[in-house]
Amino acid sequence: MVSYIARRILQAIPILLGMSIIVFAIVHIAPGSPVDRFRSPRVSADQIASLIQRYGLNKPLIEQYIAWITSFVQVWRPDSWGYSFLDGQPVIKTFLARAPATLLLTGCALLATIVFAIPIGVLAAVKQYSWTDKIINTLATIGYAMPSFLLGTYILFIGGVYLGWFPLFGMQTLGHKNDYLDIGWHLVLPVTSLAIQGIAAWARYMRASMLDVLHQDYIRTARAKGLPGRTVIGKHALRNALIPIVTLLGLTVPTLIAGAAITEFIFTWPGLGQTFISSVGTRDYPMVLALTMVGGFAVILGNLIADVLYGVVDPRIKY
Amino acid sequence: MDRAEKAPTYVIGKRPAELDTEDIDLTPVRTYWQLVRTRFVRHRMALISLFVLLALLIFAIVVPLLTGNEYTHAQLKTIGAPASLSAPLGYDEIGQNVFLRLAKATQTSLIIGGAAVTIIVVVGVLVGSIAGYVGGAVDNVLMRFVDVVLSLPVLFIILMIVSFFGTGNVTVVVIAIGITGWTLAARLIRAEFLSLREADFVQAARALGASHLRIVLRHILPSAMAPLIVAAALGVADSVVTEAALSFLGFGISRPDVSLGNMLNNAQDYFVRQPFLVLPPGIILVLIVLSASFFGDGLRDALDPRQRIEASE
Amino acid sequence: MTAVRTYPTDLVPEAAQTLLEVRDLKTHFYTNDGVVKAVDGVTFSIRERQTLGLVGESGCGKSITAMSILRLIGRPGKIVGGEIRLRDKDIMRMTEAQLRDVRGDQISMIFQEPMTSLNPVFSCGDQIAEAVSLHEPVSHKEAWNRAVEMIGAVGIPDPARRAKQYPHQLSGGMRQRVMIAMALSTNPELLIADEPTTALDVTIQAQILELMKSLRERNKMAIMLITHDLGVIAEMADDVVVMYSGKVMERADVTTTFESPHNPYTRGLLASIPRMGERRKRLEVIQGTVPSPLNLPTGCLFKRRCPYAMPVCDTAPPLQELRPGHVSRCWLTAEGAAPTIGENPSKELAEETAKAMTVDA
Repeated sequence: MVSYIARRILQAIPILLGMSIIVFAIVHIAPGSPVDRFRSPRVSADQIASLIQRYGLNKPLIEQYIAWITSFVQVWRPDSWGYSFLDGQPVIKTFLARAPATLLLTGCALLATIVFAIPIGVLAAVKQYSWTDKIINTLATIGYAMPSFLLGTYILFIGGVYLGWFPLFGMQTLGHKNDYLDIGWHLVLPVTSLAIQGIAAWARYMRASMLDVLHQDYIRTARAKGLPGRTVIGKHALRNALIPIVTLLGLTVPTLIAGAAITEFIFTWPGLGQTFISSVGTRDYPMVLALTMVGGFAVILGNLIADVLYGVVDPRIKY
Repeated sequence: MDRAEKAPTYVIGKRPAELDTEDIDLTPVRTYWQLVRTRFVRHRMALISLFVLLALLIFAIVVPLLTGNEYTHAQLKTIGAPASLSAPLGYDEIGQNVFLRLAKATQTSLIIGGAAVTIIVVVGVLVGSIAGYVGGAVDNVLMRFVDVVLSLPVLFIILMIVSFFGTGNVTVVVIAIGITGWTLAARLIRAEFLSLREADFVQAARALGASHLRIVLRHILPSAMAPLIVAAALGVADSVVTEAALSFLGFGISRPDVSLGNMLNNAQDYFVRQPFLVLPPGIILVLIVLSASFFGDGLRDALDPRQRIEASE
Repeated sequence: MTAVRTYPTDLVPEAAQTLLEVRDLKTHFYTNDGVVKAVDGVTFSIRERQTLGLVGESGCGKSITAMSILRLIGRPGKIVGGEIRLRDKDIMRMTEAQLRDVRGDQISMIFQEPMTSLNPVFSCGDQIAEAVSLHEPVSHKEAWNRAVEMIGAVGIPDPARRAKQYPHQLSGGMRQRVMIAMALSTNPELLIADEPTTALDVTIQAQILELMKSLRERNKMAIMLITHDLGVIAEMADDVVVMYSGKVMERADVTTTFESPHNPYTRGLLASIPRMGERRKRLEVIQGTVPSPLNLPTGCLFKRRCPYAMPVCDTAPPLQELRPGHVSRCWLTAEGAAPTIGENPSKELAEETAKAMTVDA
């Protein structure tokens, strides 16, 4: 198992490198140069030239790439990820400051998804063809079909404007720093928005997986042994049905990242997603590069965890 | 002594009694496509979705065709005006006819979705078929490449491409969505090719001297299309939603062009004064996704059913 | 086929009590294309320690019959009629709880596909121990010990180690042995074996049959053996029930079935077995194919393929009792001649006669 993990980590390195090349390429092939934001009548041509010199923007791309990537991996240095064009702060510092907010949001959403989706999916599968199943299926399909930004907008307006029960933006109310209850109150709407799509999707997968398992021969054997229905489903069927769900974890990381970014945008949640959107709009290249790399790293990590979990949960897999 | 020796011989050569005409086995025989159509039709939801999609298509094609540029006409006097016969959905915040804008928006969104899916399918089939058919080192390299693209956070990349290469440019949006979305199609095609490559009918074609290209195009590709068609149907819906998200975030289409996403964005700004403006584009969007989803499900079931009578209680 | 029986017939005295009685069992499936009468009026009984063989082609309803006995039929199937008496209790009327007591304890069942009949995420020992602790008040350790004991009893070497292994680590034959161990771990009175050897190699098949025979003696249990292989029937069964398209065609003891069968279908089955030392140009076959369950013929279900078919066969034939313990569903007399009412009687006469002649036991 340990050797498998080591192998996967080694395999991940070229992928990360490939990713960095692509991202770097996109940034630098794009029309316009990073110094364009500084061009104005008050800035002289010499100042522009010295800026270009200082940031090494006139060097060949390969050199620039190597300079960037070697600096990037030295994460223990505070200036390794460069300085933001927007506020001049070291990118790493801003990243570390904003990361907890995003982790809180996505963590709660993931938890809510698992807690709700699995029982709902199992219920729908066990009561196939019944009204319960039809209702769950319909709700799940609608929830799944609704784009996250649509859902988020409607939830914000219903919860925040019409009902007025929840705050309209941000993570904390002014003057209530680190008040957990206050943060929790602010969390409700964005987590609901992020979780509903997840619950809809996972419930459908859970239902499909459970249906698959319920038709297997060993379930028939379990019933023929005289096991009560609850045990057949809760023990024999569920253990098998959860196996493909575990691999889902890895696949949902990209969706979670995108969903989090959009949700943070709608609810003005001070996390990395919102940071990314504003830095893309303002061409804050160092921030954009860093956050994209972090996103890719998260995807790879998610896949790795999912594969390892899969090996743990299914005794047929030997690493 | 063999017990069987004592068994009376069965009457050899005597034919079964003459059959009554009413008693002939009348189970009808159907071709593969007839079966597919029968199974598809049984899915009520898939059938309904097909009609909804057709209706949306007609709406998106006919209305803009008939009214041309009228959707851009903005007049002060019609700001916030209520619905009328020529404007069934009323007017929006700058006096434009919501109904006409909706039609044009649907058209734009569907065009973008369709174009993006075309790119996805073309690139996916190319990569997948080469990887699956040639196999070996080529397959390895291509799959590594797919892994890299898959590991990219899709929304981030799309945002970057669109923002850096031209916000509001339809072509850029289409390309951005297309080059980030082909990985699933490639994987599907590759899987099908890997399994079909060793199929008997392919071996037979090879034995007859067919060139690789001919084998791929005429023999393998048609059989591999089934999952691809389903993926394409769902891909259109996906692309439409992605474009809408882009426009919503402010990176996609912008005025005077209209898409479902930027209609939503505009509606959000004016929510307090005209709250119902968020409904039409949202509903159309959900309709597109829902009907594409059911249609895709129905297609998948029709093309590859698994009907078993299982014992359980 | 061998005429030497290894099972002494005096272990099943005539006075043995009836263990299971199936009467007029009907299980129908309501599919999109119509109603499939998988089991349509099947009657038979099994005495204590008797082995009953249920024979027929694929799709004749024998597996469904077995599953109906334990009420394991699910949508779109439904047991629509009949009685299933286990000693003096009617299984059809039992509550869920009572039914679960019967399953795995008094009646155990093993299935055809050993590769997929065991849960892949639990060890073999766990699955057997589960069956034991479900029906007997034993501790976890005792249940495990019994599991290991049973694995040894079915001929698997090194049972303690094997008990900890997962099903995928065992071969097909060993998995079937584990299934048998699990079924027998609670000392059931009746073992229903649904094609236990069909999915196995011929050599493994022989081993499994030997195993079943020795366990049958040891546990003194009755077996309901379902198969399409007449050779297995000859080796194992005391009595035989021949099924076709959901109905019983013939029922007799094994000797009669092989030496003097009455029903044309049974005779066709026996005739189509090639024999050693015979020289033939063509194999004997039963003409035609099994009718589609959605398009059954009127009258005798076998008439389209039967070389003895007469016009009277358009009316459903009676289930005649030719001798005590030998019934056959056919219009032919016990000597094989046309019925007394003639080959082409009126419909009313035929129906009345059929009704009068039919026994329902």
